[in-house]
Amino acid sequence: MNCLEIERQLDAYIDGELAPAESAALREHLAGCATCSRRLAERQSLGQLVRQAPYYPAPDRLRMAVQATRNSRRLTPTMLAWAASMLLAASIGGVMMAGTRRARTAAESSASIANDVVAGHVRALMGDHLFDVRSTDQHTVKPWFLGKLDFSPPVTDTAPMGFPLIGGRLDYIGGRPVAALVYQRRQHTINVFVWPDTQPAPPEAESQRGFQVQHWTRGQMTFWAVSDLNQAELGEFARALQQ
Amino acid sequence: MAPRKFEESVLPHLDAAFNYARWLTRNDTDAEDVVQDACVRALRFFSSLRDDNARAWLLSIVRNTWYSRFPKRAGDRTIELDDTADERPGTDLDPEARVIQQQAVERVRLALEQLPPDFREVIVLRELEGFSYKEIATIVDIPIGTVMSRLARARERLIPILRASEQPIGETRELS
Repeated sequence: MNCLEIERQLDAYIDGELAPAESAALREHLAGCATCSRRLAERQSLGQLVRQAPYYPAPDRLRMAVQATRNSRRLTPTMLAWAASMLLAASIGGVMMAGTRRARTAAESSASIANDVVAGHVRALMGDHLFDVRSTDQHTVKPWFLGKLDFSPPVTDTAPMGFPLIGGRLDYIGGRPVAALVYQRRQHTINVFVWPDTQPAPPEAESQRGFQVQHWTRGQMTFWAVSDLNQAELGEFARALQQ
Repeated sequence: MAPRKFEESVLPHLDAAFNYARWLTRNDTDAEDVVQDACVRALRFFSSLRDDNARAWLLSIVRNTWYSRFPKRAGDRTIELDDTADERPGTDLDPEARVIQQQAVERVRLALEQLPPDFREVIVLRELEGFSYKEIATIVDIPIGTVMSRLARARERLIPILRASEQPIGETRELS
């Protein structure tokens, strides 16, 4: 590879969009070329600076206006009938739930946990209850769970890898209390749900409703990470956490 | 897969939709109008959401809405000062550090707003929203190769703009 080719691929490289073989070839060239290394460093510091740009969250007024549009469309007679039947179903459902939960197969339960995990993530972000303990210090977050859970979740500081810890809270997944650890990447929030599970499971990655979900087990604990980050970066986070 | 509802699959991405629209229009009022229109369209076309990526899907609707409302895409609108832009959660800095941080935020904002919209949007989608090239290609409706070259050119353009603003106005440097 010559410098011209490197220059063309440098952006794709820092954006994690190159195939592993191409990345390796590029790294090999960078190791021996001061000009290209300088260009890479310049691009990286540009990225750090640009990611400080303001992020504009939706104003409450807009959120309410969108909800109102949604509700006015929903109030058709068929919809009302549907809502009434849902209410009835919900009251019956409460009774049936205990029986059906036990009957689920492992695959179904994994899919339903992924669902729960995404729902937990959305709930925390929308309801604005993201933290019970707000701290970037793992030695503050970990002891906070003492006495609140029947296990002690491992809390890792991944700030050096670009994923700072920002806090934690108690949450409920699959009907049991779990530890939720909150990390950040740029303006994106990552929720990691942790609870004990002695059955090792192969790591999985999936996408649900535009969110990325990654699951792995380690040291008799099961981990579910969810975020609106892209899959590559959430994967990077999962690896950082497992180191 | 669980049955999808508009509330569950689209509304969680309202922040991303507004952030994108705000960067495209560069003002709050237009951005709100665009997102509100886009949500009405999203609701109407909700059944056409085939794949699982509701965030990219919603943002592509935001982009189309913006494009049809502002066909001229005026690049010469005057930039208004916006002092709410610096409020970001989760940063516990001392006052002095916060001032420095705010200067950096403001500097980057001005630099990005100077870029033509085509360049500005790929930077926002990549750096602030973390979309992959493939997702950006879907939202902006251009080939992946174009995403790559446009991002590279946008960054090339940003470097001199940011360099020119490196010395914030009002700050004095000691002579050594």
